[in-house]
Amino acid sequence: MPQPLLELKDLSVGFDTERGQIRPVAEVSFSIYPGQTVALVGESGCGKSVTALSILRLIPQPPGRILGGQVLLEGQDLLKLSERDMRGVRGKDIAMIFQEPMTSLNPVYTIGDQIIEAVTLHQHVSTREARDIAERSLNDVGISDPHRRLQEYPHQMSGGMRQRVMIAMALSCQPKLLIADEPTTALDVTIQAQILELLRKLQRERGMSILLITHDLGVVAENADTVGVMYASRVVEFATVEELFDHPKHPYTEGLFRSIPKLGQHAKRLETISGMVPAPTRFPSGCKFHPRCPRTRKMAESIKAAQPVSMPPGSNVPLETTPIRDADGDIFDVLSKCVGVEPTLREVKPSHWASCHVLENYEKSPPTAPHLEHRREDATNGASSDAQEVIR
Amino acid sequence: MLTYILRRLLLMIPTLLGMTALVFCVMAMSPGGIGGAALAAAGGNVRGAEAARIRAYYEKRYHINSPLIVQYGRWLNEISPIGWREDDDGNFTTFGFKSPSLGESMERHRPVGDLIAESLPITLLLNFITIPIIYAIGVWTGIRAARHRGGAFDSIFGFTQLAAWSMPTIWLGVMLITFLASNQYLHWFPAAGLNEMTASQMKFLPFFDPAHHWHRGWVLDVCWHIMLPVACLSFGASAFLTKLVRGSVLENLGADYARTARAKGVAENVVLYRHVFRNSLIALITVAAAILPSLLAGSVIIETIFSIPGMGQLGVEGARFQDREVILAVTLIGGIITLVSMLLRDIFYVLADPRVSYD
Amino acid sequence: MTEINVSTLTPPADPYPAPNAGNVVDAPVSFTRKVLRLTFERIGAQLGLFWIVLIMVLAVFAPLLANSHPLAMKSNGQWSSPLARALTPTDVTLLIASFAALVLWRLKRIRLATRVWTFIGIIIVAAVVSCVTVKPPLVQVYDTYRNGLVSGEISKAIFVPIHYSPDDHQRDVEDARLKPPTLAHPMGTTADSADLASNMIYATRIAISIGFVATSVAIVMGVIMGGLMGYLGGWVDLIGMRLVEICESIPTLVLLLAFVSMFQNHPDQALYIMMVVIGALSSFSYAEFVRAEFLSLRDRDFVHAAQAGGLPLWSILFKHMLPNGMSPVIVNASFGVAGAILIETTLSFLGIGLQNESSWGSLLEQALGAGGNVFWWLAVYPGLAIFLTVLAYNLIGEALRDALDPRLNKMA
Repeated sequence: MPQPLLELKDLSVGFDTERGQIRPVAEVSFSIYPGQTVALVGESGCGKSVTALSILRLIPQPPGRILGGQVLLEGQDLLKLSERDMRGVRGKDIAMIFQEPMTSLNPVYTIGDQIIEAVTLHQHVSTREARDIAERSLNDVGISDPHRRLQEYPHQMSGGMRQRVMIAMALSCQPKLLIADEPTTALDVTIQAQILELLRKLQRERGMSILLITHDLGVVAENADTVGVMYASRVVEFATVEELFDHPKHPYTEGLFRSIPKLGQHAKRLETISGMVPAPTRFPSGCKFHPRCPRTRKMAESIKAAQPVSMPPGSNVPLETTPIRDADGDIFDVLSKCVGVEPTLREVKPSHWASCHVLENYEKSPPTAPHLEHRREDATNGASSDAQEVIR
Repeated sequence: MLTYILRRLLLMIPTLLGMTALVFCVMAMSPGGIGGAALAAAGGNVRGAEAARIRAYYEKRYHINSPLIVQYGRWLNEISPIGWREDDDGNFTTFGFKSPSLGESMERHRPVGDLIAESLPITLLLNFITIPIIYAIGVWTGIRAARHRGGAFDSIFGFTQLAAWSMPTIWLGVMLITFLASNQYLHWFPAAGLNEMTASQMKFLPFFDPAHHWHRGWVLDVCWHIMLPVACLSFGASAFLTKLVRGSVLENLGADYARTARAKGVAENVVLYRHVFRNSLIALITVAAAILPSLLAGSVIIETIFSIPGMGQLGVEGARFQDREVILAVTLIGGIITLVSMLLRDIFYVLADPRVSYD
Repeated sequence: MTEINVSTLTPPADPYPAPNAGNVVDAPVSFTRKVLRLTFERIGAQLGLFWIVLIMVLAVFAPLLANSHPLAMKSNGQWSSPLARALTPTDVTLLIASFAALVLWRLKRIRLATRVWTFIGIIIVAAVVSCVTVKPPLVQVYDTYRNGLVSGEISKAIFVPIHYSPDDHQRDVEDARLKPPTLAHPMGTTADSADLASNMIYATRIAISIGFVATSVAIVMGVIMGGLMGYLGGWVDLIGMRLVEICESIPTLVLLLAFVSMFQNHPDQALYIMMVVIGALSSFSYAEFVRAEFLSLRDRDFVHAAQAGGLPLWSILFKHMLPNGMSPVIVNASFGVAGAILIETTLSFLGIGLQNESSWGSLLEQALGAGGNVFWWLAVYPGLAIFLTVLAYNLIGEALRDALDPRLNKMA
């Protein structure tokens, strides 16, 4: 069995804030295979950016802290490397591009200087050769007249061009994995499409893997091979892109898809997921989605009356099962679990992981970390166009 | 760029005119009017023939009773290189090029130009020694505090920085003199002046004489005298700069481009010194123009406390005696220095920040 | 085993439920209160506030702390209170005002605005009434008490802790000039043979009043200037900025010195003239802040709405725009008070300024005597007082700045 390029195993990251310690990333596990594009999807504040930054250990150590888990790059745990060795990985084996091309480049140096810096850090070449490499990188990302561009400053370029420069800089040392943190969010829609196509082309040419962080399901549909959905610090669903779009299993993912308006649909109001994303200092007990979940609501409605409350949701509830009784005194097992026990990712269907107590095969499957060596060319044309059908 | 500089230089002229006019009006409004106190000091305020003669002399020589516009106009004429030449009786003769002069002091009866030539270099010396010192201290301490944010250095720094900035210069000066420069306590430093009285006989550099006694020499003597005044002057300003550097470095360390650099694999040290500091330089330059005027104000106090005959002292005395020429000259020179330093700051700004251009 | 109320899981029938499921919302707190709480949470601001309250107390109760007049005196079998008789209108007004402030502060039931207006009213009434009724004796001869005690005329006299007034030049004592601290004079004596501790206490009044009045004048003038320049723009702005530039380029001290000769002729009003002049000269920096804020606020929608509604100019400027643009002014106000105190100190030190009363600056000046003699008590005590006061205001200013600017808060 081929080995994954990058494997996250139960990665947890904590932050010390004025209001106490929060855990923006809790037991996140997934794998990225060579040549694969894995998308990490979620709303703002779900922890996807922190996860990405933690892979490269770019979270400042106070106030941040790695609470546990492993990040295995070709079998080697990056979390155990010395800072010096880690610097050898950054930019060389794993590169990262960021959301805001406006501010992500140093305004007082030419882009030539900045790309050459990246090159000379990891490759033993003369400045002359480094300049040539830089020029070639600019060419690869589709920037015309690269020789002149090397002398320019970031403020002299448009947003789309700056993002291309960022990509050129990231790829100048031929990394095996490119982490792209919302690379197109700050750009116009047309430029978005160009940048994503560029990334796809470079990936094909170099056999590079991409970890694509985004909140845009359209981007996911067009670019990802496998998808992880994150909510409130955890991965709640992980599947191939076709499977996810055709058969979402987790109520949050279902809610996301339902809220996308469809062409030709008649409706008076847009559908939403009721409630708000909880702040990291106020995560609910048990399943973090349970206060907003339509499944728990249905279960609750079927109970005729309720016992008086002793604790509000959101407080520290012990992790054993806290039974919920209806008027007749019967225990509602599943609902109690939703409120009291945090679900973990389990393979509820072949090649489809989800974490929800209500799912059919949830109890039967063991908790495992997702491994999906899947690429979109493997699927049939019909399925992939189905996925895109949903978006259009 | 050259046109920009030229334009700025030309714009300085109306500003300088406005400044001197304003100061002139303030002087005129004060009791006694222009030259009142000087006149009084010379004995012209009492009754009697002698006093009347003094008054007449002052009027003829310094025109203190002429209308204000005329007085100001005369002064403008004096300082301009093109104007009416004046003969000894005060009548105007031909119009054309002439050598500009700053007039004569009413109180000391000496040409103001000479007074300024004597005192300005001293003030400039004081300030120009101070500026590199405060920048060196400020930058080193600020970077250190930012790098070890939250550590022992930073906490101690935070506490002492505010105390140092709040320290009144006069108190510091008085305390230093009291305890370090007096006969009653430690006499490590001299208390007054820039030179010993035997300065003119000193050789320039230190030397040993045949009897193996070590002589300080003029240079070291000035250094020894100037240490306390410079220490006083740089105390508050370096505290201010330190805080600025720390804040700017911290802000830039958390900026997006710093994150990009780290993601490229750049070491933290290099991020600090190559990427962050270069950006903080911009903030440092911006603040430089604010520092110089405050240093000038500070040096007035220092000159008074340490009895250093600089331009500040000249100005204070001129104000005391409502000595028109002296005050106007001091205002003019002070204004020129301030405006030129602002222009220099803007030029350096363009050099430091590629996003800015004046063309 | 704990039980959980299921009804908290069922949202109401409304398809758009209140967005609080799973969250708890803070009770709303007014902005001012939040800023004040954040500011005075920090230890620095607390220490600063403590010191300022301390000197305010000293200022108000000065005549009861340091006075050559005995509090109570028995002479010829009669008890009398020379101290009470010698109180000036200022003393009386300050005492009444602080008592009123204390009472009003405790009455938390009444609305804040009402309390503030009541306080102002009480001060005005007290000032007017005391000016009319309170008449201290014009000539004060302090020696009589000391001589009287010695000679027996005065059988008993109860003094306040420091039994010297600041203008008691001890003419009955030989060579009391510039003496180091003793039991009788815990801080030593000044160049006028007066008690230093007494002078220091009375000088707190000058420090406090200069600070507040000068800064208030500066803020009012600056806000008006800056507001008009920022809002109207155009040539008002151009001319205004040139004026501001001119005034700021003048070496401040020289300009101040030029103004200062006005003090010489009106020694009684010197204090007030100085406050106004310092205030006017400091107003330019506030004007620049307000102008910058107003320039950016001018294009905001709520301003357009106010203009479209036909509101008068002063209402738009002061009721709508100003509360939004005040933060840099507030932050710098505290530093401004410190700065005003420093300017006054410097002027007094240079020998210009107040002639009749001593301020900390003029006391400090006496530390360096002629012929290289130094008097450490005159260097340490007044200087320390100035330093601590400036430090206190700076500490509060720093805390205010951190509280008002959340961005900087995260960095520090």
